[in-house]
Amino acid sequence: MDEQWIQSVGIDVGTSTTKMIVSRLRLGRMSSTFSLPRYQIVERQLLYASKVHTTPLHGFDEIDADAIGAILQKEYEQAQISLGDIKSGAVIITGETASKKNAQHILHLLAERSGDFVVATAGADLEGVLAGKGSGAERRSVAIQGTIVNVDIGGGTANAACFHRGKAIATVTFHVGGRLLRLGPQGEVQYVSPNIQAWLNAKGLSITVGEVLTYERIKDFSIQMARGMLDYLSGRERQVSGLLVLGQPLKENVSVDELSISGGVGQLMSAPTPETISDVSRYGDFGPMLAWALRQEREAGTYPMQWIDPEQTVRATVIGAGMQSTEISGSTVHIKAELLPIRNVPIVKLELTEGHLGDPQQLRREVSDVYDLALRLFEKTTGSPFALAISGITYCSYSLLQTIAEELSQQYRQKFAESRTMIVVCETDMAKALGQALALRCKGQPEIICIDQVRVEYGDYIDLGEPISGSIIPVIVKTLAFDEAPQKGV
Amino acid sequence: MERQLDFLVDKVLEQLEKKLGEMGSGSAKSQASGASHAGIAAAGEQTAAQEASNRQTANQPTGTEALASASAAAASTAFSQAHSGEGAGLNASTEPERISQVPNPKYREGMQELLASTPARIGVWRAGVRPLTKTMLQLRRDHAAAVDAVYGEVSEETLKEFSLFTVETKYDNTENYLKRPDMGRIINDEGVRLLEERCQKKPQVQIVVSDGLSASAVDANLRDVLPSLYDSLQSYGLSWGTPFFVKGGRVASMDHIGEILQPEVLVMLIGERPGLVTANSMSAYMCYRPRKGMVESERTVISNIHRQGTSPVEAGAHIGTILSKMLEQKASGVKLVL
Repeated sequence: MDEQWIQSVGIDVGTSTTKMIVSRLRLGRMSSTFSLPRYQIVERQLLYASKVHTTPLHGFDEIDADAIGAILQKEYEQAQISLGDIKSGAVIITGETASKKNAQHILHLLAERSGDFVVATAGADLEGVLAGKGSGAERRSVAIQGTIVNVDIGGGTANAACFHRGKAIATVTFHVGGRLLRLGPQGEVQYVSPNIQAWLNAKGLSITVGEVLTYERIKDFSIQMARGMLDYLSGRERQVSGLLVLGQPLKENVSVDELSISGGVGQLMSAPTPETISDVSRYGDFGPMLAWALRQEREAGTYPMQWIDPEQTVRATVIGAGMQSTEISGSTVHIKAELLPIRNVPIVKLELTEGHLGDPQQLRREVSDVYDLALRLFEKTTGSPFALAISGITYCSYSLLQTIAEELSQQYRQKFAESRTMIVVCETDMAKALGQALALRCKGQPEIICIDQVRVEYGDYIDLGEPISGSIIPVIVKTLAFDEAPQKGV
Repeated sequence: MERQLDFLVDKVLEQLEKKLGEMGSGSAKSQASGASHAGIAAAGEQTAAQEASNRQTANQPTGTEALASASAAAASTAFSQAHSGEGAGLNASTEPERISQVPNPKYREGMQELLASTPARIGVWRAGVRPLTKTMLQLRRDHAAAVDAVYGEVSEETLKEFSLFTVETKYDNTENYLKRPDMGRIINDEGVRLLEERCQKKPQVQIVVSDGLSASAVDANLRDVLPSLYDSLQSYGLSWGTPFFVKGGRVASMDHIGEILQPEVLVMLIGERPGLVTANSMSAYMCYRPRKGMVESERTVISNIHRQGTSPVEAGAHIGTILSKMLEQKASGVKLVL
């Protein structure tokens, strides 16, 4: 096999809009015929992009599953793609929609209807990272020296992801988005998200359902919100603006050099200035004015960041989900095809130091600590309770390999006796050798899946797909958090 | 021979410079005892060296005669170092961390990324239009390691560890080996007799180890590649015959071995022509039913097996996969579909 295409789908169900794309990814052999095979995704092509649909809802807090199903079916027909052809991809429910009551149900329904190995997921961190990939911020971060943040502002939330040298280093999510304030054609307030109450109070602002807002008040509110978010990102002020943050605050010591804004609001930034109250409320919310306020800040240039135009705006997240979510494993791996696909496996990291590698006693204790941590964190299962990610090995000799395999397998069989599949993810190219060493020891109890060349962190979840041409598997790493590692041995 | 001479002359000069430097500052006595510790030099030479240094202390600067005898002592030191076995090879593989020599680079992080992306000598800076002394010395050291690898011998311990007995080709000596590749492709009569006597005939897998152009490649990698390969064969349920070592072997000696032992598949782990990045690189050549008259396109190869290249344990595991595919498809080389 010299090259191969796989088709991948991306579906983004957001607070205000729903989009779908189909892309194809080309796997190419990157190594010479004299080396171990090594494949990479060398090209990602967009085949089809749906138009932007309004997300069908029942009331304010329930997604209309049937209506979404109907939209997708139509789009698949139009794209002339059958579900069987789709090998990878992601469905993502974003923004405030993710907390709507039937979101989980919809996710799984959609995943089932979208192909063999399509990931269903929700989570603001992942969403931000995918949008950052789709908007081109990740790619740009490789070309520049500093850190770039992409903020994807949609209806319900703004997801910011910081990239440095091609790597997502931090994320933060804001209660900033068009649909947080819904307006009638004359500026009458139909809905104010309860999530921004605290911030409104701190700012001395008051907006209540039923009142009619003037153009000037909406403008002032928009400017305040835009500045709040930018204050936080630039670190100018985080006390009050911190009230806009949803979930974890931004990691310390992240300084941002460049900024791009994607999402629906990002797209509206290049729209003409809303002149009248009906211009402002043309989508039934204050999104156009929020976009205008951001453009004002960009033109004023008072924040110490360079503003960059993103490659994609409203479709950044869906393109990220469809085209950038899939990675492939190394090609010399140890797998059992009949056990795949395996979805939603949390990562536990075994970070080895010189000390562990030099002293079997220390290694034993470390493995034991990490396994105990996993015992506390995850429920017992006959599947795979977690995937063990091993890092810190620079050169693995055969004797070291044996020591590691012995410790890993022996303690695993003791502590996770009911698990029938053990999953190991190595950072360096050693998966086949380690998998083989583990399998020789375990003899099928448990079965071993050992892959390499996939970068994972604490808090990630991974999905492993069915093998492509026997030896390579598609992997989707779902980054859910950028928090510090949980404490061991507590 | 010319290369070897160059190499020895370089070594001698290096030692000489060092010794002269020491003589300038240190006492003659400690100097002389240092020289006698260093080598397994012949007694006569040692005395000469002592005499020479005594004379030097009495009567500086040195005359040509003293220079000559001092260089003889140094030569013996160099000789003994070159033959002290695997020590040299292992030292070469524990590389110091590579750092950029560029003073105050504009983008330090980027410089580090570039360095991490290649083993090539980049970011070495310059002195005028020439390389820095440090860079130059490193280059010459690496070149010397390459030469050592060609002229070195696989250590007995390595062979003993894996119970490999030795057969030789018709190479005769290293000089001839380099000039007459054809002779390295034929096992000598004694070797043929040994193979027939000691090896299992018609095995499923025959494993052969050879020094080829780098003995240190075998010393450095066999411990990791071979057991991993055994594990892999075991996982695939394959059986193997009696492994052995071929001294002075060329890749195509597998054809002759194939004629004698008639294995289904054969894998030869052989030292590669050393380069300046590493002198310890090994290749695995594999073929289905090796026999006389095989063409090169019928061989499958995994090359560049060493610490900084293809991971030895991973290579060992993958060789097993390739061999099992060869057995399945009854083919090797370009006809094999991997």
